Amino acid sequence: MSSVVDKQPAVPDAARLPAAFKKRPKHPATRAYGLFRVLALVIIVLTFLAPLVWMVLSSLKTNVDIYDPTAAFVFSPTLQNYETVFGQASYLQYIFNSFWIGIWATVLSMILGVPAAYSMSRFVMKKSAAVVLMARIIPGVSLLVPWYFVFSNLGLVGGYSVLILSHMFVLLPLFVYIMMSFFDSLPLELEEQGQVDGLTPIGAFLRIALPLSVPGIATASILSFIFSWNNFMFALVLSGSSTKTLPVAIFDFVAYASIDWGGLMAAAVIITVPIMVIALFTQKYIVSGLTAGATKG
Amino acid sequence: MKSPRVLRVAGITTAALLAVGTLASCSSDTGGGDGSGVLNITLANHVWTDAIKESLPEFEQESGIDVNLTQLGEDQLSDQYNVKLNAGTNEIDVMMYRPLQEGKLFAQNKWVADITEQVEGAEDWDWSDFQEGPVEATTVEDAVVGVPIITEREVLYYRTDLLEAAGLEVPTTLEELEAAAAQISEANPGVAGFVARTGASAAVTQFSSYLYSEGGTWIDDDGNAAIDTPEAKSAYEFYGTLLREHGPDNVSTDMSWPEAMAIFTQGNAAFYTDADSLYKNAVDPASSTVADTVGFAQFPAGEDGSKPYNVPSWALGIAAESENSENAWEFIQWATSQEKMLELQQAGVPGSRVSVWEDPSATEDYPADLLEAINASFDVGVGFDRPLVISVAEVREIVGMPIVESITGGDVDAAIENAQSQFQEFLDDERG
Repeated sequence: MSSVVDKQPAVPDAARLPAAFKKRPKHPATRAYGLFRVLALVIIVLTFLAPLVWMVLSSLKTNVDIYDPTAAFVFSPTLQNYETVFGQASYLQYIFNSFWIGIWATVLSMILGVPAAYSMSRFVMKKSAAVVLMARIIPGVSLLVPWYFVFSNLGLVGGYSVLILSHMFVLLPLFVYIMMSFFDSLPLELEEQGQVDGLTPIGAFLRIALPLSVPGIATASILSFIFSWNNFMFALVLSGSSTKTLPVAIFDFVAYASIDWGGLMAAAVIITVPIMVIALFTQKYIVSGLTAGATKG
Repeated sequence: MKSPRVLRVAGITTAALLAVGTLASCSSDTGGGDGSGVLNITLANHVWTDAIKESLPEFEQESGIDVNLTQLGEDQLSDQYNVKLNAGTNEIDVMMYRPLQEGKLFAQNKWVADITEQVEGAEDWDWSDFQEGPVEATTVEDAVVGVPIITEREVLYYRTDLLEAAGLEVPTTLEELEAAAAQISEANPGVAGFVARTGASAAVTQFSSYLYSEGGTWIDDDGNAAIDTPEAKSAYEFYGTLLREHGPDNVSTDMSWPEAMAIFTQGNAAFYTDADSLYKNAVDPASSTVADTVGFAQFPAGEDGSKPYNVPSWALGIAAESENSENAWEFIQWATSQEKMLELQQAGVPGSRVSVWEDPSATEDYPADLLEAINASFDVGVGFDRPLVISVAEVREIVGMPIVESITGGDVDAAIENAQSQFQEFLDDERG
């Protein structure tokens, strides 16, 4: 930035503008780069978009059309698949389950994880941090048998609480680690300043560190919610027929000797849409979460 | 200044704890498993399950037993059993399982109860009415651990219009099948002569009929691996060649039935061999563009005659830890009674009772040629479609490798030799 600012006064305004216009065509390398950038973007976007487009189109097709390459884009759309999903498959219940579990697991992880991360960051508790990270490293599948044993003896299997707890097991370390690095980057001086002005250490956390770390909390919350929303393994074993989450419920369309691809795709659209909407609206927090801070540079 | 902040934090913490507490207390009551009147039934997604589900209220009314039904896809069901039964749960009473895929494992781990006394004691229900092959598969070391409910056989699916246009008869031997597939694919560009499963593990069960018909088997009488015999070799080579030379262009080597069936139902293949239980996919206009021109025939004969598998794909068992086994047995008796099985067979689920198959009303809706093919398979069928071992999934990968090698035109002999030695090692390990 500084170099541009330095040069500005040297060139009079009137002379600068036409020069800038003339300059553009003179840089074929820049144009080639621009072209390359657009091309690369198009290729990447198409690659990521293709499965989604295929999914949405398939959800509007009959099972015969889904397998027919000639009906890839030209077909007579039907809403029958969506009727199946909301009618006989009682998806509203599963959507509610997924939301309920995702929100609670995220909120509880936040309440426990943010103060934990703060203290680990401020009081340099490397070992505790390592222990928390262990939970993230252990493959979830190896925990399923002992969990099932414990929770079924507690009579919790099949309820919401066990799913929330199991998701928290993964979300809590996620929160702690994202927030730890966030607090690490907050200058200690800000809180010291607050304490000089009469805040307690906890007050400094609540009034200074916490408000400044909102973007970090948002990032961690969104990532947590997405994890919980997509989690299949824990829900498969620990949920009951009325507390099933969407990723488990989607397998109802796959039977031993028949697969309802249309219904499957309609259900997949329903699973994907909420999370995409959430991601779109909260995108700016994720981005600012990576760059924000009290002082720049 | 100090105390309000502390109170605030304390408040948040209390709120959190309360929330957890409330959630725990409002956890649903579907779990339970305290041996109460509720019978927990775990079933796979299947036409059979859909039909049974509809008549469940009838059972609940008759017996006064409350049923809690859990329904899952076959792989998810397996995962659940592996976790829950391993943890010694008593929350599963009746379990639907695949005798050939998991039966030995479950029996060895003592996850399924021995119900020999019950099946032999129930005279009205008549255990002797069940087909011999399927019963063999649900009997482990002389103990009956399951009641077969659904059976299937490998049959030849073909396109009547393509055969007619080529002036061909329905092939009755594997040689004729190859010749017909070659002729049709030459005459109809874009249409493959033949299609079948190609994935290493998925193809094993459908390849088994080729293996038996050529005179081979998986494991010989002494319990040793037998996939390097000349008979087995010729079966591997035949299956691979058929797909390589006359199969779809650039055939993928990870097709299971949904992919292979899709090629057939889109009208892109003349012949297809797979389980008869899939026939509705081919004859239902909602999923097939060739619904009107599908024909069925008995599995073609090889060197050793026509030897398709005839297996029980699903059975009902009682979990060993169930505290509700009497009610569980009552449910099984009801679901596998002669009249129920007749009803289910009419709904399109091939059952396991001899008397039901003999009843013409049971199969009214079946295509006549399919019924003929099925009946012919009963007499010559082999009771297993994969090696009978404990870790079936693992062994399917081993014995399936030469199939893939053969389809891609690689060195089949080397692949067979390799698979044979791995298979032998595996068997030695499993015997301990």
